[in-house]
Amino acid sequence: MNKSDTVIRHIAFFFSLALYLTLLPIILSYSLGYHIDFNKLIIYKTGILSIKSTPSGASIYINGKLYQDITPARIEELRPGTYSIEVKREGLFPWQKDLAVRSNMVTRAENILLFPTLQVTDKVSDRETDNFFIPDDRSQIYYMTKSGLYKSNIDGSNLKKLSSYSKWPSDIIGKKLSPDGKKILYFNEYCVWIIYLDVPKPVKGGEIAEVEEALRGPDIIKDAFWHSGSNHIILVAGRDIDVLEIGKGGGKNTVTLNKCSGQPQGAYYDVYNDSLYYNDSPSGKSKLYRLDLREKFFGKLMERIKKEFDIIYDQK
Amino acid sequence: MTRNEKLRRFFEIVPGFMTWSTILGLIVFSIFKPLWVAVFIICFDLYWVIRVGYFTTLLVFAYRRLNAQKKTDWLKKCRSLEGPEVLNYNSIYHAILFPAYKEGPEILAASINALIDSNYDKKKMIVALTIEARAGDVYWDNAKELQKRFKDKFFEFIITRHPDGLDGEAKTKGANATWGAMVIREFVDSRKIDHEHVVMSCFDADTCAEREYFACLTYHYITNPKRTRSSYQPIPVYNNNIWYARSIARVIELGSSFMQMIETMRLEKFVTFSSHSMSFKTLVDVGYWPVDMISDDSVIYWKCFLYFDGDYSVMPMYVTVSLDVATEKAIIPTIIKQYKQKRRWAWGVENFPYLMMGFINNKKIPLFKKIRRGFHLFESHYTWAVWAIIVTFIAPLPLIFGGGIFRQTTMGYSLPSVAAALFRITTITLFICMFMSIKLLPPRPKDVKRQKKLVMFTQWLLAPFLAAFVGSAPAIDAQTRLMLGKYMHFHVTEKIRHGVTSN
Repeated sequence: MNKSDTVIRHIAFFFSLALYLTLLPIILSYSLGYHIDFNKLIIYKTGILSIKSTPSGASIYINGKLYQDITPARIEELRPGTYSIEVKREGLFPWQKDLAVRSNMVTRAENILLFPTLQVTDKVSDRETDNFFIPDDRSQIYYMTKSGLYKSNIDGSNLKKLSSYSKWPSDIIGKKLSPDGKKILYFNEYCVWIIYLDVPKPVKGGEIAEVEEALRGPDIIKDAFWHSGSNHIILVAGRDIDVLEIGKGGGKNTVTLNKCSGQPQGAYYDVYNDSLYYNDSPSGKSKLYRLDLREKFFGKLMERIKKEFDIIYDQK
Repeated sequence: MTRNEKLRRFFEIVPGFMTWSTILGLIVFSIFKPLWVAVFIICFDLYWVIRVGYFTTLLVFAYRRLNAQKKTDWLKKCRSLEGPEVLNYNSIYHAILFPAYKEGPEILAASINALIDSNYDKKKMIVALTIEARAGDVYWDNAKELQKRFKDKFFEFIITRHPDGLDGEAKTKGANATWGAMVIREFVDSRKIDHEHVVMSCFDADTCAEREYFACLTYHYITNPKRTRSSYQPIPVYNNNIWYARSIARVIELGSSFMQMIETMRLEKFVTFSSHSMSFKTLVDVGYWPVDMISDDSVIYWKCFLYFDGDYSVMPMYVTVSLDVATEKAIIPTIIKQYKQKRRWAWGVENFPYLMMGFINNKKIPLFKKIRRGFHLFESHYTWAVWAIIVTFIAPLPLIFGGGIFRQTTMGYSLPSVAAALFRITTITLFICMFMSIKLLPPRPKDVKRQKKLVMFTQWLLAPFLAAFVGSAPAIDAQTRLMLGKYMHFHVTEKIRHGVTSN
């Protein structure tokens, strides 16, 4: 080994050592949130402010003063205190909040959503539309118009007339697609209608959908749900929880499954487990109940319903 | 158990205990004191990045030296030497020992042909093949064939069969090499050659020495006033089958070559590794290689160091010897093979109790030297075992175990970005390694596509992943075995050289 090699090695070693001893306190103090003021020769504790916005690239104002970086930004070496933070970007509504910065801690404002000031509205369809329905899978749009029922793709393309039916009520409360995707129910406080989307033989000059009034009851309808089999509707009407058997033509069969002590204020139907959740107050205090309509629990109930239906048929 | 046995056992436990204490301690502290661990990680990461930078600087200088010395005509330099302290190069004999087990004749023939291709006088070379008897008659017959084929090319071509199960011996390469060296001694003594005039090179069976190797070795030997107090270490490169090896294996082995180049610049820590040379006189004086230790290449250095009361060093030679990359055709078997090979290398931790016991029994070595060398040996194995674990697996733990409160602190917030920024600097080293690996490559064989050169470049992108998964694991494995007293046996690495296998 040459002497020069030894010298090189020693220089490299001591330089590395010096570098380590110099950088370590700087990196550590930075990571721990300490700041050294070289002018005043003091060390003080600081906090970090992390700002992220959607869209990014917005200007940041701290106590009214423009900060050098744009979002996303990590603002370091802030002395503890409350700062007025404003995030602005041209064409977007500004965001403002007073944020508290604590020593050695990070204050995060990372979910800032900046909305555009100019809202862009696209016309999906030129057709005059009284009401419409978009199922949860967002595959179609159903248009309830004065000239009939139409459907199109979600972007408005491929518009197709399904039915000439045009007597759409103005006070529809809810619209729901059946689990099999072949029916839509819609209802107001007094009536339930069903749109059959799979008419086997086109009727009335090629129409492929048919609208039918399924129920008109005395009680005010609170909510209506599809049973998982798509052939029954669970109704919360007045104090009753009813099940309505549907089918085109003929009469509709209804059975009251439960009579509540008052009208349920809330109702939710879990279609995956066929369970209706509702609140009731039979003993004065309102509590949450579940009506299990699954097949295994439903079996006996269905037998009873069938018997009642048979009696109704017999009577008819 | 005698006092010495207890002490030895204690020193066997120390490396593994320290490694496991560090790893488990950091895990436990990550749960209860995440801030402390985060501070430690930043200190360690910075230390590691600067260490990588320091090593890279040494690597660049070693590479430059290797390049510069490639152009040296060592034979000419030997001839031109005169002086009272200089031996006449004509009086020097080279004994080249190949301890072999189940290496095929093609592997050994290639290594012997490399000796024939040397520019040194072959009539000054004594070649010895020492074959393990337990390998079977086939390998002994191969040795006889090789003797018949190469006998006339050298001063002498000795073959010998190392009996299995001799008293005090373990199944190690050192035992085989010792047997071979004793046979060489008989020959040297029969020809009345001065032991000091014989330079012993103990080569792995797949070692192909560079053309200038023996001239360079002779020059260093005859000009070194302390020639018998030095070992002579070439730079091992894994070029024999590099074009046919898997990328993973290439990156790991090139990393080993680079590490060896770096070591040549750290003379006071330099220890013999793999194929190397030394004075035959020294080898005889110290009583050959230990016959019951696996890490024969490094332990012979420590044996000499203790024998000469600390007055023993390793002289780097900027010539290369080419070996086989431990590879397989599929990736997983390659990783397993590499893992086993690295674990065998990491078993060099057995040198620590050996050295400590030597230090206790030797009162002539200065205390400072004992502390320094002992610490270097311990530190190298300890760092090997923990660094990748700390950098890869421990570093995220404070954030995982620290919970929301720690993540809300400036340290919790800064730790990932600070660590990432530090390690981004090491990409410079990656580029330097890429460049050097291309420069160290042997010519591309005709049956290898041109595009493969691009792979040789891009393969380095695997380095961070390999470091994470095979960086520390073999060392932890080896240290744990030593700690638990589950001693390793010599595992021969079977190597594949484009259709030819070597153990």
